[in-house]
Amino acid sequence: MNVFQYFAENSTQIINLTIQHAQFVFYCVAIGSIISIAIGLLVSTGEPNPNRFSFDWWATGIREGSLLITAAVLTIPSLALFVLFLPITGLGVTTAIIVLTIYTLYTVLRNTVAGLTAVDRSVLESARGLGYGRVRRLLTIQLPLAWPVILNGIRVTTLISISIAVVASIVQGPGLGKLLLTGITRIGASNAFPQVLIGTVMCLVVAAFFEIIFAIVQRLTIPRGIRV
Amino acid sequence: MSETENMIVLEAVEKVYPGSTAPAVERLDMTIPKGEIVMLIGPSGCGKTTTLKMVNRLIEPTSGRIILDGEDVTDVNGDLLRRKIGYVIQQGGLFPHFSIADNIGVVPKMLGWDKNKIRERADELLHLVGLEPSTYRDRYPRQLSGGQQQRVGVARALAADPPVMLMDEPFGAIDPITRDRLQDEFLEIQRTVGKTICFVTHDLQEAVKLGDRIAVFATGGRLAQYDDPDTVLTHPADDFVSDFVGGGAAVRRLSLLELSRLELHPVETDVAAVGNQNGTPVAEVDGAGRPVSWRHLPDRDAAGTALVTVPLSGTVYDAVDVMLDGSASLVAVVDDEGLPQGVLHWNDLVAGLKTRERER
Ligand SMILES: Nc1ncnc2c1ncn2[C@@H]1O[C@H](COP(=O)(O)OP(=O)(O)OP(=O)(O)O)[C@@H](O)[C@H]1O
Ligand SMILES: [Mg+2]
Repeated sequence: MNVFQYFAENSTQIINLTIQHAQFVFYCVAIGSIISIAIGLLVSTGEPNPNRFSFDWWATGIREGSLLITAAVLTIPSLALFVLFLPITGLGVTTAIIVLTIYTLYTVLRNTVAGLTAVDRSVLESARGLGYGRVRRLLTIQLPLAWPVILNGIRVTTLISISIAVVASIVQGPGLGKLLLTGITRIGASNAFPQVLIGTVMCLVVAAFFEIIFAIVQRLTIPRGIRV
Repeated sequence: MSETENMIVLEAVEKVYPGSTAPAVERLDMTIPKGEIVMLIGPSGCGKTTTLKMVNRLIEPTSGRIILDGEDVTDVNGDLLRRKIGYVIQQGGLFPHFSIADNIGVVPKMLGWDKNKIRERADELLHLVGLEPSTYRDRYPRQLSGGQQQRVGVARALAADPPVMLMDEPFGAIDPITRDRLQDEFLEIQRTVGKTICFVTHDLQEAVKLGDRIAVFATGGRLAQYDDPDTVLTHPADDFVSDFVGGGAAVRRLSLLELSRLELHPVETDVAAVGNQNGTPVAEVDGAGRPVSWRHLPDRDAAGTALVTVPLSGTVYDAVDVMLDGSASLVAVVDDEGLPQGVLHWNDLVAGLKTRERER
């Protein structure tokens, strides 16, 4: 059977799997980003003068620690991590979402920390001098100014997640992995090649879809004064 | 002097940074009267910025008291305190993602002003600092030049009409010509707003030009002298100050002396006075009464001497400048309308300048 025939006969299933794949990635990236941004905000308040050593030491510790752990996790082969979670959370969507979410953390956290700490010192100092408290400064000055960098981190993590999500099908996770894995395990059989090819192409379609979404979000959420 | 006439009082204020043994600012006592500009000056690292930031508690003093308008603010909430004190820094520090109007409105907004009132205030202040509101209010900081950003920084600090302004080298990163203009505008604005201003600089010229008083800091955070500019230049308190003020103090002092404070020589515009024997120069004037050339000069060829003028609002320094520039040994001092008010001779400079009492 050739690729086009296969697609025509299984279009409903393929489209459903593609939508599922996009949703799967979306949820994991959303959860992961919220967690990462929250941690990032918590640990990088960027005091212009380090008078309060206690808080800064504590914050620096958490920051470096969480960066180290999330980076280390990123180097574990995804296949292994999915399987390692099996005894704890079993087969299915839960394991898939937990593991993929873990993979999304590092890039967003790294970019959040980098973006927040790169905010111009003089801007932060004048904010403090005008009577901005720590929280107000963080939310109304640092976060909007760091947002382009953070958003870029989310974008990169989304692209990486699209391919890692495929692996989730070995724990019966959702998405295009099912199609690809079926094809790969039955390589040589008549439908195997069309399945792998279509799975791959559909991953690219999902990636293109997210790229468009990000271009729109960027346009809408980056403040006008700092748009390049 | 009663307590309320002093806006800022520092009592034995000291700062020792954590991890260092020597104080950055050493037991500082300083009193700043209402409505005056005090210039903090001294070599790099002598504690000027530290002193300034202790006034609004951006830096917490290690010991000592800070009294603002009669109220001890050493232990009040720092953020709330800072909303009542204007603060301008060298790099401007404008928020890049806020429009110019929003930048100016940040403190009023925190203080809960009404939206319309904030907008009107922003326009009013843009006007005050010489930026056309309709052109600039909706721009973003990156669309402004450095000098314009600095003006917005000043406007932002003035927004909630704080009685006190702290300025840390506000014109430090600006080219000399623009800086000169900003300084003139700054004095003009101060005439309108009458704030109590603490101003850090490391430019003695700037300190002399803008300051009602100058605080000279020595290395190690010691206040070496706190006096009016004339006294600092002419009577340095110790070797450090005289070294710091350096040679050329006499020349610098010229820029302190306003022509309006001098006893000028009379000048005539009446043709009948030509040939007078009492030494009064006679100028030829145009239709509006403005001097254009000399008709008669005592012991000199009037036709061979250029007539140069300097405004009465200028300083002796300006007068010397135009005399050198025009190779003239005398200069006509004119008022705002350009009418002659008197003359200043080159010889007056060495003979000693006679001043009238200063009216304040
Ligand atoms: N946060 C800090 N921690 C430790 N030491 C500091 C800190 N800030 C300033 N100092 C030290 O305190 C001293 C005074 O610094 P300050 O910034 O007040 O100097 P300054 O007079 O403003 O100098 P400049 O003209 O270079 O701006 C310097 O020796 C400096 O190294
Ligand atoms: Mg300084």
